[in-house]
Amino acid sequence: MKHATTVSILLAALVLAAVLLAGCAQQQAQPQDLKMGAVVSLTGAGSNVGKHMKQSAELAVSEINAKGGVFVKAYNKKLPITLIVADDETKPDSGVKAVTKLTSEDNVDILVGGWSSAVTIATLGIVAEKKVPYVVTGASSPDVTRKTDVDKSYVFHYCPTTAMYGQYTTLFIDQVMRPAINEKFGFADSRPMRVAILYQDSAYGKGVLNGVISTITTGNLKMDIVSNQSFKLGEADFRTALTAVKAAKPDVIYAAAFPVEQTQIVVQARRDVNLNTIVLAVETNDNPDYYKGIARFGEYSVIESRFSPYTAPKSSVATADARFKADYVAKYGSFPDMMGVSTYEGVYVAAQAIENAGTLEKTAVRDALAGIRMPQKVEAIKDGFITFSPDYREVQFELFVSQLFWDEQAGECRPRIVWPDNLKETGFVLPDWYQAGTG
Amino acid sequence: MALEFDILLQVLFWGLYAGCIYILLATGLNLIFGVMKIVNFAHGELLMLGAYITATVFALSGLNPYAIILLTMIVLGLIGIVIERLCFRPILGTGKLNEIFLSLGLIYVFQNGVALIWGDERQVLNSPYQTVTVPVGAIQLPLDYIIIIIFTVLILCGLYLLLRKTDLGRAIRATSQNRKGAMIVGIDVERMDMICFGIGSGLAAAAGTLWVVSGQVFNPYIGSIPAIKAFSIIILGGLGSIPGAIVGGLLYGIAENGAAYFLGGIWKDSISFLILIIVLIFRPTGLFGESRE
Repeated sequence: MKHATTVSILLAALVLAAVLLAGCAQQQAQPQDLKMGAVVSLTGAGSNVGKHMKQSAELAVSEINAKGGVFVKAYNKKLPITLIVADDETKPDSGVKAVTKLTSEDNVDILVGGWSSAVTIATLGIVAEKKVPYVVTGASSPDVTRKTDVDKSYVFHYCPTTAMYGQYTTLFIDQVMRPAINEKFGFADSRPMRVAILYQDSAYGKGVLNGVISTITTGNLKMDIVSNQSFKLGEADFRTALTAVKAAKPDVIYAAAFPVEQTQIVVQARRDVNLNTIVLAVETNDNPDYYKGIARFGEYSVIESRFSPYTAPKSSVATADARFKADYVAKYGSFPDMMGVSTYEGVYVAAQAIENAGTLEKTAVRDALAGIRMPQKVEAIKDGFITFSPDYREVQFELFVSQLFWDEQAGECRPRIVWPDNLKETGFVLPDWYQAGTG
Repeated sequence: MALEFDILLQVLFWGLYAGCIYILLATGLNLIFGVMKIVNFAHGELLMLGAYITATVFALSGLNPYAIILLTMIVLGLIGIVIERLCFRPILGTGKLNEIFLSLGLIYVFQNGVALIWGDERQVLNSPYQTVTVPVGAIQLPLDYIIIIIFTVLILCGLYLLLRKTDLGRAIRATSQNRKGAMIVGIDVERMDMICFGIGSGLAAAAGTLWVVSGQVFNPYIGSIPAIKAFSIIILGGLGSIPGAIVGGLLYGIAENGAAYFLGGIWKDSISFLILIIVLIFRPTGLFGESRE
């Protein structure tokens, strides 16, 4: 009898121990946070943009964590985000190292960021190998999701492609600039618009060039590309290239360049080469440093965008736009740029996808990203909801075009939206010094 | 596309400007090599340092950046003397590999040091004359570039007078021609090494000042490509030949801009090395090099 009691006690103790041990193991298996990797260019040609991408990501993370984090159903609790930032140095080899570190050493659950198309594309082999969902917020080459050399199913393109904004800008040239020039100079409507393209010799620059050519061809637009000059990434001296453009007598120059390059293009065109024409910039240049750098030389130049530090479309996102800017200025003492807000939203998209998936398991998160439908955040999206297209996982943004006007008070140029009509703040202006090209 | 004269003149002008920067850099490098026979891959970083010193003094004092050039040259000259004394003199004669790795190390020291002090974001300095142009025929040339060309000519004239008309210059040339012979006749060759490194660094500083005054973007990493080009210029022009450095620098500046205009911007850097290969095939010692070198 005494023996049976002893055995019973021992058995009960064993069962209790087993239960306690199982509880401990389960606690150890539960993550304490959600690791999000941010791939940004903190050094190199993209450093001024990368700074804004990093800061914007940190702002988004701090906002989400202030509310406890991301609810993950599998653990029945909110997980705070730990943001791990890696510098790709705006170089493909460094980008590969950065993404390898994030996915192999840091074991991030999801990636956001990626700015230079050449750098981002170089990293996608690692992303495919590690099967980590990646919300690309900056790199605009369509090859980011469309080229099928590696499995891109984990890559989601949260920014317009070069084809999209190349088309949009070309249509602006056709529908707004061409009539204005024809009217001012008395040209016939049959006169083709003389367009010069100055593009970075990379996936990004070539993508813009192809976007323009494709739009002209498919739309049968009255436009001739009278000059196309390429330059290497990081180029600082555009004088000769601009002289070659000048020799072609363009009506307009469309430059596909990074902000450090675009700034020099605008300044050198007007100051050194006396190119009295309108220069168009790509959205990635909508950055406070750009406005500072171009000084008055950028007056009357044009920029295609979807978010500007210094203006906002009067639309459904106006309030969110103002709130984001106020929060950013309060935290960092400077205005955000377009790439920053794109990354800010990218963090929210990534967080929402994880919440929708209910788990940190990467394939489930990828599927959740593919099926996501969330309200637009700061930038206007077509139809007001963020969704990724089923074929190439791209998002349709609402774009606009601004023209820059000198602001005496600011001592810099400031943008005002001139297109589309439903968003415009003012009409497009051809300045007195403008000279149309002649064939 | 018809080749308009004013367009070609403008391209030639950009080539002259670029040539000025290369001439100053390559001449300094040639002076150092001519006397010390050492390879300093960190020479481009001296241009970079010159750029930062100019920009910093300009920001602090508001002085005309052209007036700062002399100060920058003196500061870099002194830095050059320190580098020669502390870094290169101890390893002189111990082998080319030591020189190469030392200078490679200096590259990283300078780049990271500057990044630590000034940050590594790209910066630009705006010249007070940036909106001023001078009409030349049908074209308007920026005044800054004309000043840069004039300054380069003045500096080279000064160097010529120093080397040709002064005792110091004679001593430097003697050391360059025959180091042992110079020692025998009582020339302090180590002092010549120090002075030449200082002058060479000062010339790199001048290149850096003129670089930033022209509105070129600068950051801690701008020195690498100009340094490589400076080396190829001194090989093209002939090792130790200052006239060779001048001709080579001009040739490179004009060829690069010509290639960019006629072939496209991506050919800008390639054409320089193509010229070097072609010249070396026909004249292995360079345009002005002597066979003993």
